[in-house]
Amino acid sequence: MKLLEVKNLHVSYDGIKAVKGIDLHLEKGEIVALIGANGAGKSTTLRAICGITPMHSGKILLEGMDIGKIPPHHLVKHGIALVPEGRGLFGRSSVEENLLMGAYSRRDREIKADLEKIYALFPRLAERRKQASGTLSGGEQQMVSLGRALMTKPRLLFLDEPSMGLAPIMVQKIFEIIRTVASGGVTLLLVEQNARIALSMSTRGYVMESGNIILSGASSMLLDNPQVKAAYLGQ
Amino acid sequence: MEIFLQQLVNGVVLGSIYALVALGYTLVYGIMGLINFAHGDVVMIGAMVTLTVARLLSNSGLPGPLIVLLGLLAAVPTCMATGYLIERIAYRPLRNAPRLAPLITAIGVSILLQNLAMMIWGREYLSFPQIIPSHAFSFFGASISTTQSIIVIGSGVMMVCLSFLVKKTKLGNAMRATSQNPEVATLMGVEVNTVISLTFILGSALAAIAGMMVSAYYGIAHYDMGFMLGLKAFTAAVLGGIGNIEGAVLGGLLLGIIESMGAGYLGTLTGGVMGSNYQDVFAFFVLILVLVLRPSGLLGERVGERP
Repeated sequence: MKLLEVKNLHVSYDGIKAVKGIDLHLEKGEIVALIGANGAGKSTTLRAICGITPMHSGKILLEGMDIGKIPPHHLVKHGIALVPEGRGLFGRSSVEENLLMGAYSRRDREIKADLEKIYALFPRLAERRKQASGTLSGGEQQMVSLGRALMTKPRLLFLDEPSMGLAPIMVQKIFEIIRTVASGGVTLLLVEQNARIALSMSTRGYVMESGNIILSGASSMLLDNPQVKAAYLGQ
Repeated sequence: MEIFLQQLVNGVVLGSIYALVALGYTLVYGIMGLINFAHGDVVMIGAMVTLTVARLLSNSGLPGPLIVLLGLLAAVPTCMATGYLIERIAYRPLRNAPRLAPLITAIGVSILLQNLAMMIWGREYLSFPQIIPSHAFSFFGASISTTQSIIVIGSGVMMVCLSFLVKKTKLGNAMRATSQNPEVATLMGVEVNTVISLTFILGSALAAIAGMMVSAYYGIAHYDMGFMLGLKAFTAAVLGGIGNIEGAVLGGLLLGIIESMGAGYLGTLTGGVMGSNYQDVFAFFVLILVLVLRPSGLLGERVGERP
């Protein structure tokens, strides 16, 4: 069964039709890339699925259940997490406080253990656990944002431009970790302007242009597609 | 020296009340960037309710402190409900409006509360019945009454409790997350509307306690008493750094002491030209100085960070 299915999604944002009736789906365990230029509607799509931008019409199904009407603060309990564009940290709070906010809705006893797992994944954050997260470097902030999303114990993780503003070496590092997360069984939807890296690590991809999905298919195929090459890979 | 000590004591008492009210301003500002100008009027409602209960029971034979406590038990829920309704009716519909709209609405709510109070309690000054035994003890030559010490200790306890709540509890975590990024807080499972409601309710409970203190201490209540008190507490919050809990406490105490010292010495310093009735000038002088010299306040750092 499909883990996530989005049908005919329309979203308006500040009076502009940002998403004009798209369909997409995610199989369990997949890494899927959603690429496109700035302003194509990628972030709006993610925000609508997460419930923080209201959708105009359409259906969002999580394992067949309609989650379009669920209040956004309940979605985390259904296993949906977002690493937002620009990281969205609680900048005055410490690294550890940010990570623990990820566990806000959890009531199990594994929180402490999971926190240590995050520190094992990002040793750099362990060194800075008491530091205000707003004072970290861009890459470290991205680690906090990713770690915080993982603390929610997601089944489905949306990543919005995780490479944005990072040095190339940091981009590699972050994507290595994203791969590790995926191999742990989390389904990923990766929104990126950096189409090359997104397509090279995903199994399938969607290409978005001015609110519509104009192409979709296996990532290897998209990498060879002349249209994608010309518009997004700079070839 | 005795005058100095006495004015210091008076200043700390006054400052404790300012601090309690300033906390209400700072909590709401911290969480949603709104200056709730109706907060002083919630204090007035707390004072009026306490005073009404005290008047009704003043001949009942119950001990005075118990009567005041009963008054407080009526004032706290009344103010909590008022605070909740203010947010729900006046501010929530404007959550995404430009910032000027809720600010003007706040002034409107303030006027509305004052007029409601005038309709209920009249336009006269109401006096608090003499039910609290006045007992004073001496402290290095300065006299401190039981009421004064209860005000200082009571405020101190409330501040410690609030600080614990904001820093160590789940609600506090939700409040801090909401204040920094409500959208991401939602993604973490925080119900932002509930957190904002609870913040107003909490601030209003502190306002009720402050209202009880003001009416019992000064022995008087009036429908527009919240206006000046609110402005001064707002000044205290700005002085300490609005949005900052320790700042509100520090700003409140400092402002109380400055006012009290000013009132005590102004006559001597100006050779009798200006008297203690110029007390109110100091608060606004301080406000202007802070806004000019250090707009972020003593302990604030990031005012203006919110979009």
